[in-house]
Amino acid sequence: MNRELLLCIPFAGLLLCIAVLPLVKGEWWEKNQPLAVGFWSLLFIVPFAVLYGSGMALETVLECLIGDYLTFIVLLFGLFCVSGNIAMEGDLAGSPRVNVGLLLLGTLLSSWIGTTGASMLMVRPVIKMNSWRKRKSHIMVFFIFLVSNIGGCLTPIGDPPLLMGFMRGVPFFWSLHLLPMLLFNAAVLLFVFYWLDRRAYRKDIAEGCKPDISKPGTEVKILGLHNLVFLVMIVAAVILSGTLPGMEAFQTAEGHVRGIPVYGEVTLTFPALIEIVIILLAAFLSFKTTGQEVRRKNHFTWGAIKEVAVLFVGIFITMQPALMLLKANGASLGITEPWQMFWATGALSSFLDNTPTYLVFLTTAGSLGFSQGLATTLGTVPVVILEAVSCGAVFMGANTYIGNAPNFMVKAISDENGIRMPSFFGYILWSLAFLVPVFVLDMLVFFL
Amino acid sequence: MEYTQEMLRELAERIYDLDAEVYAQLGSSLGRVFNRDREGCVKDMVRLMTTRHQGHQLRSELALISNMARTIPNKDARKMIMKEYDRILQEVISLPTSFGEGDILDQRTASLNALNLKNRFSGTDKLIICISRSFGSGGNEIGFMLADSLKMNFYDAEIFSAVLKRLEAEQDAVEDKGRYGYDQDQAYQTPAFGGPSERGLKERIKEFNRYHGLSKRDAVFFNQSDLICDMARQESFIVMGRCADVILTNNRIPHISIYITAPVEQRVNRIMAIQKVEEKKARKMIKETDRRHRHYYEFFTGRKWGASINYDLCLNSAAYGIEGSAEFLRRMIEAGSREAGLSKSSASEKQ
Repeated sequence: MNRELLLCIPFAGLLLCIAVLPLVKGEWWEKNQPLAVGFWSLLFIVPFAVLYGSGMALETVLECLIGDYLTFIVLLFGLFCVSGNIAMEGDLAGSPRVNVGLLLLGTLLSSWIGTTGASMLMVRPVIKMNSWRKRKSHIMVFFIFLVSNIGGCLTPIGDPPLLMGFMRGVPFFWSLHLLPMLLFNAAVLLFVFYWLDRRAYRKDIAEGCKPDISKPGTEVKILGLHNLVFLVMIVAAVILSGTLPGMEAFQTAEGHVRGIPVYGEVTLTFPALIEIVIILLAAFLSFKTTGQEVRRKNHFTWGAIKEVAVLFVGIFITMQPALMLLKANGASLGITEPWQMFWATGALSSFLDNTPTYLVFLTTAGSLGFSQGLATTLGTVPVVILEAVSCGAVFMGANTYIGNAPNFMVKAISDENGIRMPSFFGYILWSLAFLVPVFVLDMLVFFL
Repeated sequence: MEYTQEMLRELAERIYDLDAEVYAQLGSSLGRVFNRDREGCVKDMVRLMTTRHQGHQLRSELALISNMARTIPNKDARKMIMKEYDRILQEVISLPTSFGEGDILDQRTASLNALNLKNRFSGTDKLIICISRSFGSGGNEIGFMLADSLKMNFYDAEIFSAVLKRLEAEQDAVEDKGRYGYDQDQAYQTPAFGGPSERGLKERIKEFNRYHGLSKRDAVFFNQSDLICDMARQESFIVMGRCADVILTNNRIPHISIYITAPVEQRVNRIMAIQKVEEKKARKMIKETDRRHRHYYEFFTGRKWGASINYDLCLNSAAYGIEGSAEFLRRMIEAGSREAGLSKSSASEKQ
C-alpha cells in the first residue's frame, strides 16, 4: 500500500507542474511540456519496473496507451479537426440572454454528440459572439461546467463512463433517468450564470465596449456546414465502439474481445481499431472537403490539441498507480450509501479518468449484494446508486481542468483566442464557489 | 530613466501595432486584443502605464497578444513578431510602478474636460454640453435656453428618432425614456426604451433578428452611442440625458457634463403648476420618473446617477431660476471658450 502510494507522487508532481508552471515560468513551460511529461512518466515507470519487473511495467504502460489513451486522443483529434472546419460568421452579439441560450443549446447537444463534440462545435461561435466584450472568462468557465461535462449525462454517447456502463449491461436509454438531475443543475447554474454575465456585461458597456450592430437585422452564416456529416460519422464510431465488443463476431471463445495482440495481454481490439479508422477517415475527409479559408476564419491551429495530447499522455501514464489503488481498495472503502457513492466517484473523477473511477464504484455497488435494482453484468445495482455513481462521474469532471478532456481543450482554445482563462487553481476556486454548492444541493435533493 | 508622455505614447502605439500585425498574420477575426479604434486604445494603454497598480493589466494584455502570436504559421513572421514582443515586454517591465505625484487631477477625466479649454481643448474639437437633470428641475428649459443663447443645436428626442430610423424600427413599438415628457401620459411611460410588455413569439423572434440577439433597449442604446459620437465629431451641440456624458467619456470626446437638480419641494410645486396635478400625484411622478432614469443611467454606465463626482458641474436650479441658471451656465462657458479662442468656431457653426 505504501509503495503504491509513493508511486502516486509522479501523478501529483505532474498535476502540480500543470498548475504552477504556467504561472511562474510560462514561456519555459510552453516550450518544455514534453520534457516535464517525460520526466514524471519516467519517474513512475522506472521505480515501477524495479518493483514489479520491466515486463509488467511495459504491459501497464502499453495497456494504458493502447487501451485508453489512443482512442481518447483520436476521438479528441477527430472532433477537433471536424469542428475546426465549421465556422460561424455573423453579427449576433454575445449578451447575457444570447449566452444563456448558447450554453443551453450546448448542454442539450452534449448528450447526443458527446461532451467533446458539443464543446468543440460550440466553443468558437461562443468566443466569436463575445469577441466584442472584455470580461468573458466566466462564460468559458460555465461553458466547461455545462457543455463539457454536465450536459453529457443523458446517453452513453454523452460521456465515456456511461458508455462503459452501457457495455456492462446498463440499457442505452437508462441514462434518461438522469434528466431531472440535468434539468436541476442546468437551471441553477444558468440562473447564476445569467446574473454573473449580466453584471460583467454592464461593466463592459459602462467601459464603452459595444458590438458592431450597425447593420439592421442579424446575419448568421455557417461555413463548412457539410462537416456535420463527419461529426455524425464520429458519433457513430463511438456508438460502435460500445456495441461491437458485445457481439459474438468480435469475441473469442473465452469471451475476450478480438484484436491485434501487442504485448502480453495488451491487445488493440478490433472495435477500437474500427472506431479509430472511422474517426481518422472523418477527419481526413473533413480536411479534404473544406477550404483553408474556413480554418483561417476559425483561427484554427494545432496548438490546443498538441498541448492536450502531450499533457494527457503523461496524466494517463502517471495516474496508473492511483487507479490500481482504487481498484484494489474501492470495495473496502465502506461506501454503501448513494450520497457517499456520488461524492466518492465525483471527487476521484475530478482528478482521475472518470471512466475507470465509474467502473470501480459500479463494481463496488454490484458486489454489495443488493437484490433489487438494475441487473448489470457486475451484479444488481439499485437505481439510486447507479444514478449517484453516474452523476458523480459525469458532473464532477467539471471540478478541474483535467477532470474531463474537453475542459482542457476549451481552456487551450480560449487562451489562444484572447480570453484570459483562470489558472489551474483559479479554475478550482470557480468550481468551489459555483459547482460544489450545486452538488451539495444535488445530494440533498436526489441522493439522501 | 525619465519617461515622457510622448515616450509612453510611442510604446503604446508599438503595442497596438504589434497586435494589429499578429491579427493580420493570422487573418482571423477571433481573439484580437485591441479591437477598438487606434487612438482610443493607445490612450487607454498610456493611462494604464501611468496609473498606479495598473501595470499588471498591461502585461496581461501583452501575454494575450503573445498567445496569439505563437500560433502564427509563418516561421519568419512569427520570429520577427516575437522579437518585437520581447523588446516591448522588457520596456513595459522596466516602467516605474507609479508616475503619481499626489495631485488629485485625474488625467483621463481632465483631458476630456472641455471647460479646461486652455490646455486641453484641441481647437478642432466641437463644444458638446451634456445635461442630465432630475424631473421637475427645469433642466430641459435651461438646456434649450442655453442652446439658444450659445447658438448651438439642441438635441433631445431627435436622437431617438434617428436611432429608430437606423434600426428600421417602428417608432410606436419603442418608447423613448431618455426624455422627460411634460404631459401626464408621457411621464408614465414604461422603463427606458422598453418595448411593449406583451409580445407574441413571432414578435420576439422578429426582434431577436432585428436587434442582433440583444434586447431592444440595449440595441437602441448602442446605436444611440454611435450616433452621439458621430454627431460630436461634426458639430457643437447640447444633448439632454441619454448617458451622453459617459458615452463621450468612453470615446474620449471632450465635453462638459452638467447635472441640474433642485430641492424636491420646488420640483413638486413646479410640476403641480405645469401639469395641474395634486401634490400627491406630483410627488409620485417625480419619484417614479427619477427612479426609472436612475435605473437606466446606472445600468448602462455603472455610475451613480446624480452623484456629484460624475459631473463637471452640479447646479441647483432653485438657486437661480430657469433663466438665471441658463445665464449662469452661458457666462461660464463663454468665459472658458474665450480663453481658449473657441467661441468663434462654436458660435459660427450655427450661423
